[in-house]
Amino acid sequence: MKLSIRHRTEYRYSERVRHSTQYLRLTPRPSRRQRILDWHLDLPERAERASDGFDNILHVLTLDQPHQGIELTARGQVEITDEDSEDDDDRLSPLVFARVSPLTGADPALIDLAESHLSTPVLERLERLSERILADMPFTPGATDVASDAISAYQGGRGVCQDHTHVFLACCRVQGIPARYVSGYLYSDDSEHVASHAWAEVWQDGGWHTFDVTNQTRRPRHHLKLAVGLDYLDACPVRGVRYGGGVESLKAVARVRQSGADHQ
Amino acid sequence: MRSLSLPEVSGYDEMIQPGGKVRDSYKGYHRWLLGQARDNLVRKRKEAELQFHRVGITFNVYGEENGTERLIPFDALPRVIPARDWRHLEAGAIQRVRALNHFLHDIYHDQAIVRDGRIPAEQIFGNSQYQPCMQDVDLPNQVYSQVSGVDLIRDGEGTWYVLEDNLRTPSGVSYMIENRRMMMRLFPELFAHQSVAPVEHYPSLLLETLQEDSGVAYPTVVLLTPGRFNSAYFEHAFLAQQMGIELVEGADLFVKDGFVYMRTTAGPQRVDVIYRRIDDDYLDPLAFRPDSMLGVPGLLSVYRQGNVVLANAVGTGVGDDKSIYPYVPEMIRFYLDEEPILSNVPTWQCRDPKALDHVLAHLPELVVKEVHGAGGYGMLVGPAASQAEIAAFRDRLKARPDNYIAQPTLSLSTCPIFVDEGIAPRHIDLRPFVLSGKESRLVPGGLTRVAMNAGSLVVNSSQGGGTKDTWVLEDGSC
Repeated sequence: MKLSIRHRTEYRYSERVRHSTQYLRLTPRPSRRQRILDWHLDLPERAERASDGFDNILHVLTLDQPHQGIELTARGQVEITDEDSEDDDDRLSPLVFARVSPLTGADPALIDLAESHLSTPVLERLERLSERILADMPFTPGATDVASDAISAYQGGRGVCQDHTHVFLACCRVQGIPARYVSGYLYSDDSEHVASHAWAEVWQDGGWHTFDVTNQTRRPRHHLKLAVGLDYLDACPVRGVRYGGGVESLKAVARVRQSGADHQ
Repeated sequence: MRSLSLPEVSGYDEMIQPGGKVRDSYKGYHRWLLGQARDNLVRKRKEAELQFHRVGITFNVYGEENGTERLIPFDALPRVIPARDWRHLEAGAIQRVRALNHFLHDIYHDQAIVRDGRIPAEQIFGNSQYQPCMQDVDLPNQVYSQVSGVDLIRDGEGTWYVLEDNLRTPSGVSYMIENRRMMMRLFPELFAHQSVAPVEHYPSLLLETLQEDSGVAYPTVVLLTPGRFNSAYFEHAFLAQQMGIELVEGADLFVKDGFVYMRTTAGPQRVDVIYRRIDDDYLDPLAFRPDSMLGVPGLLSVYRQGNVVLANAVGTGVGDDKSIYPYVPEMIRFYLDEEPILSNVPTWQCRDPKALDHVLAHLPELVVKEVHGAGGYGMLVGPAASQAEIAAFRDRLKARPDNYIAQPTLSLSTCPIFVDEGIAPRHIDLRPFVLSGKESRLVPGGLTRVAMNAGSLVVNSSQGGGTKDTWVLEDGSC
């Protein structure tokens, strides 16, 4: 399936920002599952292209002239293939992803959740876990914010894809199962649906397996992967630090459409 | 002090032999001491205290009220190491740091030591000090720990042991230098009659080491400090001043087009080497803790590109973690094909159920430490603890055994300090500083820390420990 993506992020500040630096993870890396046909970033200034420790493509954007807003647009076309498995990425030990990260700590409630169905085989058990998480915390935009961690989101009983993924990762890590956070885009027929998305991958039997808790799917047929990491902080599309600026307002719109003639 | 009587010592004392005779290495000093008037010594000690206050060598203590500045007690009776002993320590410390640098390079590249089954994979990759962002990053000279503090102790027989390695941002070297200066100011005649090896050139060796790691011909080196509220701020300012380099905080630096720049009155200036005294977690708020304003946003991306040198490297903590310590002798054999010159203290890893059983059964005799702890916090000294303290610790240990290691309570050697009644023995340790650039070297000396309370084994300055000047006596003297 060919997808065309346009993702625009706009920051506005109540006062002038003297200096800002951002890490942008807005460029997908090609893999067996995703072919990048073309991709562009429209940025206020030239950014330095690098990679991070998880092999994500990273752009470093420094604005050292006073500014009152930042506009970032990522756009391009990709082809999502029908491959079942993800590239076996053996650069980093999967054991790194069994480690508890700042947003995936567990409290007794999450440990209980993690330890239900312990007797069933791993992937099946994780499917039930995924069902249970969505039932316990229905998809509710605005119930949490980007800084929410697994514990507080689960306590609140509502959340978005980021929270579902964090709770799922926390439970995997309680069991010592390596699992990672994926940030990306999701195509859906329903244009109202949020196109920026997050899901999880679990390391089992020598490969990464997808678990999209929010959409209750293990087949990433409509998923374009941007970045991976231990949690949101490692993989988020934009992470920045600014000096000055006062109050920030953010507008982000991601649009994912099916492109070309090969409607299926 | 003609009337000076030598105190009784038990265990190994650096100055006094069992039976009350002075060791050879202290003969010169002892002769001098007998010729000193008691009043004069008291006056000199007061003078030292005043001077240290004036210079501003103070130390913030965590866990006390904000802004508590305390003078680290200085004792004017030097700790003497004969040259022969020093050569042994020097070779042992260099060997250890070479092996540790090999280890760090290996686990961030091919991981041969894990594949060879010498260290379990989860001990490395599950360790929060292993930094994924360092995997496959190539460093100049393959040096990860340019500045290493190797903590040494002696047991009751006088045998040397390595207690721990410090490969992150080891501190204390300013006391080594300032204590020497103070001794020379107070007692210049002492140095006229004995050949005490100099330590004064440490800052220039440090600067050389830092420069050696840069591919730039005349690199700009800076010292990055968390700021004046940090407990070691005095040392940061001192070393920067001694090396003639800028002392900067995070906000003085920025990242642009793949390089690090320092804001100066003459415009941005490129920075090639950063001697950072900030922990990994605080270095770059875009890569590590987002709430930290101490670091430099974007720094890690420049570092990974090889356009700036950090000393020490990111991710050295996995080499000095207490859970990794038991493997250092194995690293020496594996990487250098040599036998360790200096021994480890025997260590039980509580993550191992058998070891845990042993530790739980012998808590009153053991020292139990948190794997990731530092500065003497979160530890149990069995013989000095009350029953209630031991019981409380037992619960913590059972709840998270993997978080603890245990060691026998070594008696630690003693060295006399000045007290009101004359001199009295106190427990000490030693931290020499190994500098690693193209090669490894150290100045002859180090930081001797003293547990100022009689019988105490805790020498950490954050826990009321003091310091002494450390003399390496060159051959032919005394």
